[in-house]
Amino acid sequence: MTTDTEAAVSTRGLTKRYGATTALHGLDLDIPRGSVFGMIGPNGAGKTTTMRLLLDIIRPTGGDLTVLGRSPRGGGAELRRRIGYLPGELHLGTRVKGREFLAHYAEISGPVRKGAVDDLADRLGVDLGRPVRSLSKGNKQKVGLIQAFMHEPELLVLDEPTSGLDPLVQQEFHAMLHEAKAKGQTVFLSSHVLSEVQQTAHEIAILKQGRIVERSTVAALRENAVRHVKLVVAEADAASARSTLDALPGVADAASVPNGPGTVALTATLDSHVDAFVKAVALLDLVDLTMEEPDLEEMVLAYYGTDLSSTAEPVDADRKPVKR
Amino acid sequence: MNRPLPLFRRSMLDGWRGLLGWTIGILAALFLYLPLYPSFGGNGQMQQIIDTLPPELVRSLNYDQIGSGPGYAQATFYGLIGFVLLTIAAVGWGTEAIANDEENGQLELTLAHGVLRGQVLAERSAAVLVKLAWLAIVSVVVVMALNEPAELGIEFGNLVATAVAFLGLVSLAATAAIGVGAATGRRTWAVSAGSGIAVVAYALNALGNQSDELSWLHDWSPYSWAYGDSPILNGWNGTIWLNYAVIAVLLLVGWLVFRRRDVAV
Repeated sequence: MTTDTEAAVSTRGLTKRYGATTALHGLDLDIPRGSVFGMIGPNGAGKTTTMRLLLDIIRPTGGDLTVLGRSPRGGGAELRRRIGYLPGELHLGTRVKGREFLAHYAEISGPVRKGAVDDLADRLGVDLGRPVRSLSKGNKQKVGLIQAFMHEPELLVLDEPTSGLDPLVQQEFHAMLHEAKAKGQTVFLSSHVLSEVQQTAHEIAILKQGRIVERSTVAALRENAVRHVKLVVAEADAASARSTLDALPGVADAASVPNGPGTVALTATLDSHVDAFVKAVALLDLVDLTMEEPDLEEMVLAYYGTDLSSTAEPVDADRKPVKR
Repeated sequence: MNRPLPLFRRSMLDGWRGLLGWTIGILAALFLYLPLYPSFGGNGQMQQIIDTLPPELVRSLNYDQIGSGPGYAQATFYGLIGFVLLTIAAVGWGTEAIANDEENGQLELTLAHGVLRGQVLAERSAAVLVKLAWLAIVSVVVVMALNEPAELGIEFGNLVATAVAFLGLVSLAATAAIGVGAATGRRTWAVSAGSGIAVVAYALNALGNQSDELSWLHDWSPYSWAYGDSPILNGWNGTIWLNYAVIAVLLLVGWLVFRRRDVAV
């Protein structure tokens, strides 16, 4: 058996090529046990490829990969019983009823606690008495989640798990993730948007064109996120306010915009140094002050747009310290 | 995990409707053809009709033995309608086993569980072969039941040999579809392989029947391996087992490729 100290998933230089196309360029990834790890990236970034490699559905072209202390190839069926997997493209065309369908997968999973399937079905709100193929997309997704969670696996690998789920069910799903973490299970989930993972994931990796372009925690992302600020001052104070702004660290793109008679609005972007900013502007005679919540999604989109053509080497992952 | 053969049982449960349909089809074919034998096969009427047909056609359809009871059962059912029906079933089931399941995305989910690829291939192949064997057994039971009333005069031992030859021939088409599906994961390739091998087997036999110069083609026809020595008249012979040997090779090669290739790409 493996010890709890090693990472649930660990890759070094993991590479996957399909003929001439390279899907993964030497991925280095460590997912600590008991953590919730989110992988985000645009379509075709390599998220699904990474997950399929963990399950031995596809085989790496190069590099090292261990899952729960074993290589997916060598660990075989025994290893996969300890994992719960939700494929990104879940096609359930069988006319078999949900309960019977899950009973089949329970036979080829790790042991399923009696009543676990019904508990999950109640939580997610899906009728297991209906033929699987007659279920809506969202309900099929719930059946997929149940088969991933039902044997309480050590590792959950969930490829875009919230796709098709309504907001209430998404909340329930987030609660399930918190409970899984509390029980010591490790969760590895992917999404193409940050908002789906930021509530649950502690660490995230942003993947683009088969490379990790950023690795961080949601808290660190938030801390470093760019905030839009706007302060309104009387026309007479505009000049001093502007010089205050210009002198502050982390302030950029300062500009004056018309704001009706007698007042001037100054807008700027602020990169981290929130405390210094607030203390400095507190000395001004402010008419109004607005500071927008940082838009993390915007940050992530900026990474999506990063031009990788100039960086042949994978981005140094240790550029920003990861907080645990 | 506790009960054995989960994938085999799942395949059988998923396929019982289809199996019921094919069973009814086989019953219908047998009950339509065999009872007609006394009315115009046994009294020479059939032979008169056959004599009016072009000899090439008669040889292609293997109707040259149709004047006897065993020859009639062989020419109408085992050599023609039964062969066509079971080949269609075999190719359908064989394609479903791996290729179809992979293309519609469900194989990925199954392989992500506690199963080995060889196990998936073996259990699903077994399910296909058991279903085909069931249909062959149904044919034996019905032919024996009609043997007396339809005045066929078929010996039980010879009938069993014929059914085993028949099963080998249609299972060859099934395993060609399974093996190629396992190796490629492509539905169209699996269907082409399964139906292709059956068509080629039949065509080589039909061409080989035409003349002595072409009879060497029989050596390359799985259809001739099964029926060339007329097991329904002469009983067991060695070439019947040749199809089973090729089946084993197809499954082995399919497995060797399947276990090391990428799935669902």
